[in-house]
Amino acid sequence: MEISREFVQELEEIVGPTYVHTDPVDLQCYAFDATFEEWRPDVVVRPATTEEVARVLRLCHEARVPVIPRGMGSGLAGGTVPFPNGGLVLSLTRMNRILEIDEVNMTVTAEAGVITADLQAEVERRGLFYPPDPSSIKHSTIGGNIACNAGGPRCLKYGVTKDYVMGVKAVLADGRVFSAGGKPIKYVTGYDLPALLTGSEGTLAVVTEALLRLTVKPTVVRTATVVFHDLDLASQAINKVLWAGFVPATLELMDDTTIHTVEEYLHIGLPLDAAALLIVESDGRDEKVVDDEMRGMVEIFRAAGASEVRVAKDEKEREALWKGRRSVSPSLARRRPHKLGEDISLPRSAIPEAIRRIKGVAAKYGLPIAIFGHAGDGNLHPNILFDRRNAEEWARVQQAMAEIFAIALELGGTLTGEHGVGIMKRPFVPQALDPVAVEAMWRIKRALDPHNILNPGKIFPTDMKV
Amino acid sequence: MTMVQPQVQNVVQELAARISHDDVLRCIRCGLCAYTCPTYRVEECESMAPRGRLALVRAVIEGKLELSPRFAEKFYDCVLCAACTSACPSGTKADAMLLEARHVLFDAGLVPEPVRGLLERLETRHNISGEENAGRLVWCSNMEHAPTGLGRSQAETVYFVGCVGSLFPMSFSIPQAFSQTLDLAGVEYALLGGEEWCCGYPAFISGDVELAREMAAHNLEAVRQAGARQVVVTCPSCYHVFTHVYPELLGEEALAGLKVLHATELLADLLESGALRPAAVPIRVTYHDPCDLGRKSKVFQPPRRVLQAIPGLELVEMASTGANSLCCGGGGNVESSAPALVESMAGRRLAEALDTGAELIVTACQQCKRTLSSAARKRRLRLRTVDVVELVWQALEQTHSGGSR
Repeated sequence: MEISREFVQELEEIVGPTYVHTDPVDLQCYAFDATFEEWRPDVVVRPATTEEVARVLRLCHEARVPVIPRGMGSGLAGGTVPFPNGGLVLSLTRMNRILEIDEVNMTVTAEAGVITADLQAEVERRGLFYPPDPSSIKHSTIGGNIACNAGGPRCLKYGVTKDYVMGVKAVLADGRVFSAGGKPIKYVTGYDLPALLTGSEGTLAVVTEALLRLTVKPTVVRTATVVFHDLDLASQAINKVLWAGFVPATLELMDDTTIHTVEEYLHIGLPLDAAALLIVESDGRDEKVVDDEMRGMVEIFRAAGASEVRVAKDEKEREALWKGRRSVSPSLARRRPHKLGEDISLPRSAIPEAIRRIKGVAAKYGLPIAIFGHAGDGNLHPNILFDRRNAEEWARVQQAMAEIFAIALELGGTLTGEHGVGIMKRPFVPQALDPVAVEAMWRIKRALDPHNILNPGKIFPTDMKV
Repeated sequence: MTMVQPQVQNVVQELAARISHDDVLRCIRCGLCAYTCPTYRVEECESMAPRGRLALVRAVIEGKLELSPRFAEKFYDCVLCAACTSACPSGTKADAMLLEARHVLFDAGLVPEPVRGLLERLETRHNISGEENAGRLVWCSNMEHAPTGLGRSQAETVYFVGCVGSLFPMSFSIPQAFSQTLDLAGVEYALLGGEEWCCGYPAFISGDVELAREMAAHNLEAVRQAGARQVVVTCPSCYHVFTHVYPELLGEEALAGLKVLHATELLADLLESGALRPAAVPIRVTYHDPCDLGRKSKVFQPPRRVLQAIPGLELVEMASTGANSLCCGGGGNVESSAPALVESMAGRRLAEALDTGAELIVTACQQCKRTLSSAARKRRLRLRTVDVVELVWQALEQTHSGGSR
């Protein structure tokens, strides 16, 4: 779209000329996220305060310029690319101050652009703990985590981002600022707006500050790897562990394709004949309790048919056990130039069937699909490996992706567990959601953003019109 | 315009020829590199992150972006610390591509003005300061005892001082300390004086590969003329270029029979064998890994072994250390074009050093020392930075002035 010189000058007056970018070189750097989607914005603005955000939004509201809020751009669904008509990328990375750590009430107040890992490190210095741990903790921000309701391996035990958002300061599409929520743990005065904004992918308001709940940092952690030769046995074993009352801090799964790909890259002796490799962790503050929990889980896994169980004796062994899981991403990248990392979420019981069916899809389309994810909560990441420059291959990938979504829905699951819909999954939204529910969401969207300037072209099906 | 277009087209083709599309596509755009990138962490801006810079290369190769001075700027404000490559989960060789881009930009005449000035000085004076190269031994002139290497034209070992130690008064104390240490240890060495040229690294990373090659050839010839079989350097960039770039520029055989050591490698052996006996230095220090020595040349332990050989000294590590060490900001010739950026980067490193409770930062690089010291002065911090060879000499001087000699 056309952005006038006057509009740019007004932006420069608000945030200062240093923080308004219109050179194609700078715009190109904000054309993408961690997907291969690419849509160049018309202008990039990097405000430093909520007030500046408010003034920028007021201007965009009047001029009907799309605003795409952005943290570190590590999203996996195209949620921060200026699709389809460009517009203004609102980069919040300069708003990176931690404003308050309340040790008594165990909360932290931070600006949206604080990097999640930095926030964790800062609260951990005081013995506190912010549990949500998306694998992008070092390259995503609190604002982005809230926009996508980010999860992570720890969420079976600790919950996801929404379980920690107690309050927000946010800016509406028309530039008005509001605060919602607060430090009381019980808070039912009116609608839960912090919850509404969490997972809204920047379509309802721009969160500029968050009040987050903290807990006490676990000081002891034990790690084990468990090998199964049969997916159903693995699934049954996981249920037995949970029924026994254990809540593992981590319960990660890698399928055989993933195991083979990592082993080809690292040669660390992963079991090539296994159907599933689990990484299990127990954490807490009492060594005996944690050891007992790990021992209890190991006993159940063994009795339930695990062919091999290894418990790390020290930090070095723990690091070794994690090495395979941490190397999934690089090993996949070495195999093919592109990957499409999906994020389906299933009822736990459906995991074995989902993996089997996805393997069928891989065979049908002749595409390697590595499946790994969070076995405890049912969130799987089937990663399709391909070369996008090959048009015929890309067509097969799209068909495979559609079938994977269909499998998730048939098995009672949903399209995405922690990445969000963005632009990549929105064609599938009508199949995934009740039409009346979509209508209700759209009414909320229109009430808060009547001109559809906030992150347009995201989440909602393509035929939704203002 | 009609004159310019074909040339630009050539540059784009050149970029595509030297940086393969497959290599750029290895970047999965996750953004993890941004977290480790010193320029991103100061500017919090995507065009200052390795991912952003690689996206620019890709966009040019794919015909989506035209070359411009702004494009060039984005490659010359990278400190080339290689933290991105070290952190990359998909094995992208980002630092090599960012350097390659500078080579292409140089050939296209898109070098920023301050860098052009540096290249002119290198070409005409054979050093980075622009002074007469014959004055490279000026650091010896006010020493109480002239270093023995001064009059020696032939020796097994050449001490290659480097431009900063030779010509920047603030850094004279480094060659002064190291030459006296060599004399004390009885190591016979020669100094090349005016026959020592810039190692070639500043030219190489500015994009002028031919000038770098010429300097490399000259220096190796000068070392051969001295009959040396060993070159010892105090500068990590000289070390990196001798060990990693000279073979690339002149072929592996150019270094046949020649051993290249960083001062800390030699000192660690001399201290551990008892050939040098330092007095106790009872302070708490933290060690800053220079990028060219540590991450880029894998010399992590020798400087730490040197420090541990000093009695009473306590070594504490910073949050980012070893292969994950944070650049001081002084790399990549960024200083000449963006001094404020360098200063901010140094500030982040100083904050990490302060967190350790150390009384002194020890490094093994005159450039890191300069960058960190000047940022500390600007911030009125009472935290000094010294080169490890200075600290060793200080400890040796105490032993020997105590009458044990």
